[in-house]
Amino acid sequence: MRHVRELPGASLPRHHRGRIIHVRRGHRGRLLVHGVSPIVATVAGFAGGCVAGGATALLNTRFGINGLLAGILVMTALYSINLHVMGRSNLPLLAATTLATWAEAWGTGVAGSATVELVGRAVSVRDLSVLVGVLVIAGAAAVLLYVFLRTELGTALRAAGDNEQMTRALGVDVRNMVVLGLAVSNGLVAFAGALLAQYQGFADVQMGIGMMVWGLASVIIGEALVGTNQMGLVITGALMGSLVFRLLIAIALRAGLDPNDLKLITAIFVFAALTLPEVGGRLRRGRRA
Amino acid sequence: MLELRGVAKTFNGGTPNEVRALRGVDLTLDDGSFLVVVGTNGSGKSTLLNAVAGAFSVDAGTIRLAGRDVTRWPEHRRAHLIGRVFQNPFSGTAPDMSIAENLQLAARRGHRRRLAWALRAGLRAALHERVRRLGMGLEDRLDNAIGSLSGGQRQALTLLMATWLKPALLLLDEHTAALDPKSADQVVRLSEEVIAHDRLTTLMVTHSMQQAVNLGDRLIMMHRGQILHDLRGAEKVRLRVDDLLARFEEVRRSEQLDESAAEMLRRAYV
Repeated sequence: MRHVRELPGASLPRHHRGRIIHVRRGHRGRLLVHGVSPIVATVAGFAGGCVAGGATALLNTRFGINGLLAGILVMTALYSINLHVMGRSNLPLLAATTLATWAEAWGTGVAGSATVELVGRAVSVRDLSVLVGVLVIAGAAAVLLYVFLRTELGTALRAAGDNEQMTRALGVDVRNMVVLGLAVSNGLVAFAGALLAQYQGFADVQMGIGMMVWGLASVIIGEALVGTNQMGLVITGALMGSLVFRLLIAIALRAGLDPNDLKLITAIFVFAALTLPEVGGRLRRGRRA
Repeated sequence: MLELRGVAKTFNGGTPNEVRALRGVDLTLDDGSFLVVVGTNGSGKSTLLNAVAGAFSVDAGTIRLAGRDVTRWPEHRRAHLIGRVFQNPFSGTAPDMSIAENLQLAARRGHRRRLAWALRAGLRAALHERVRRLGMGLEDRLDNAIGSLSGGQRQALTLLMATWLKPALLLLDEHTAALDPKSADQVVRLSEEVIAHDRLTTLMVTHSMQQAVNLGDRLIMMHRGQILHDLRGAEKVRLRVDDLLARFEEVRRSEQLDESAAEMLRRAYV
C-alpha cells in the first residue's frame, strides 16, 4: 500500500504489518463484570477491534488521511471511549468468570491440586492451564486466518497489499480491501488484548502502550526463525516469534534487567533488526566491489 | 465497441505546470478492431489509454464501452469490461504471490470475491493447461512466487491474466517496451495469437515503429492531445516504417516552424 511504510524483512500480508492500532479491552472487561459469558465478551472484544480498524481504514481511504495519522486519531479517540466503557481506568476482573477461570477449573480437575511438579519446580496449575488454553486458541486463530487468506476474498486482500494497481485492474475495490484488512487485523489485536486481560485479572486503559513495538519485535523474530515468505510459515513464525520474544524478556528480567529499560531495549532491538540487514548487505556488496 | 466523444483532460490546471494532455478526442473503435496508437512523447497516447482504463476521471466528454456509459465508473468497476497489460512488467502481477494465485485473481476479474477456497482442483487443472500453452515451461512452477520470474515471463502471464476472461476491450500500454528483443518478440507473438483467436477489440500504445506497422488493422497518430492521423483498411496495410517515420518528421518540422515563427514575432514586436 502506498501509505504503509514498508518494513524490510517483514513479509506478513501488508495490511497486517503496517498499521496496528491498539483497541483497549474495555468493552470486554465491562461485559465480564456484568456477568456475561466470557465467550460472548471475548467475541465482543474482537468485534470492537474490527470496528476500530474499519474506522481507521475509512479515515484513510474515504477522507485521504495518512494511514499512520488515521491510526493515531482513532487510538486517541478510543482512549476516551474505553474510559467510558470501563467506567474507570483500571477494572479488576478477579471476581468475574473469565476464560482463565474456566481453564483453571479444567486444569485443577486434571491435576487434582493447585500446583504440579514440573522439571523439579512447583508450577501453578492456573498458569499452566492458561498457557495450554492460549496455545490452543492461538493455534485455532492461526488456522482460521490461514484458511481465510486462501479464499478468493483473502487472496484479493493479499493482492491489494502486494500490488494495488494490478488489483484495481482486476476489478477489486482496493479501499474495501483496506477496510477488511484493518478490521481483521485489529480484531485480532483486540482479541489478544481480551485474552491478556482475562489472564492477568484486570483491564487497564494503559495496557496497550508500547504493544506495537513488541508486536513488531515478535514478527521480526518469527521471520528470522522461518526465513521464508510462504504464508503458512509466516503465520507460524509470528506465533513462534511472540513466544520467543516473551521468553527472551522473561530471561532478561530474571537475569537482572531493570524493567524500566525494557521498552528502550525493545525499541533498540527493532531498530537493529530493521537496519542491520541493509547495513550488512551494503558491507557485503562493498567487499565484493 | 469503444466510443469516445470530446474527451478532454488537463493536468495541474491553473498552475505553471499545466498540461493539456487530451484536447477533445473523438474516437470510435469497432468490435474486433485492433487499434495501434503512436505519437511523440507527451502526445497524450498513454493518457488516452489511461482515460479509457479509468485511472483518472476526464474533465469533459463521454466514454462508452460495450454499450454502456462508463465515463463516471471507477477503475475497478471498468475492470469488468477491460483487460490490461502495463508497460512495467512489475505492475501487472503481485510479486509475492504465486503464479497460480495471480491467475486465480484474474479468473475472477470483475466478479465478486467469495469466501470459497481460491485454488480449487478444477481451476488448477485449467491453469496448468493454459500456462503450458504459453510454451515457457512455467506450468510446473505454478506455486512459485511471480517475483522470481523474468520480465518477459511476467508480461506473458499478465497477458494471459488480462485475457483469461474475454474482455470487451484489451488495453496494451507499451507492453514490450521494457523487455529485451527476444522476450518482446515472444510477447508480441502471444498477443497476436490471443487477439486473433478471441477476436479481441484491442487498443495498443507503442513506441516501436515496427510493431505499429506490423500489428493491428488501424493506426492513429496522436499529437498534442489530439488525433493527427487516422489510417485504416488498405492505407494501414500499405503503411511502411519509412512512411511512418516521414509522418513523424513532418510533425517535428511543423513544430520547429511554429517555434521559429514565434521567435521571429517576438523579435519583431517585443
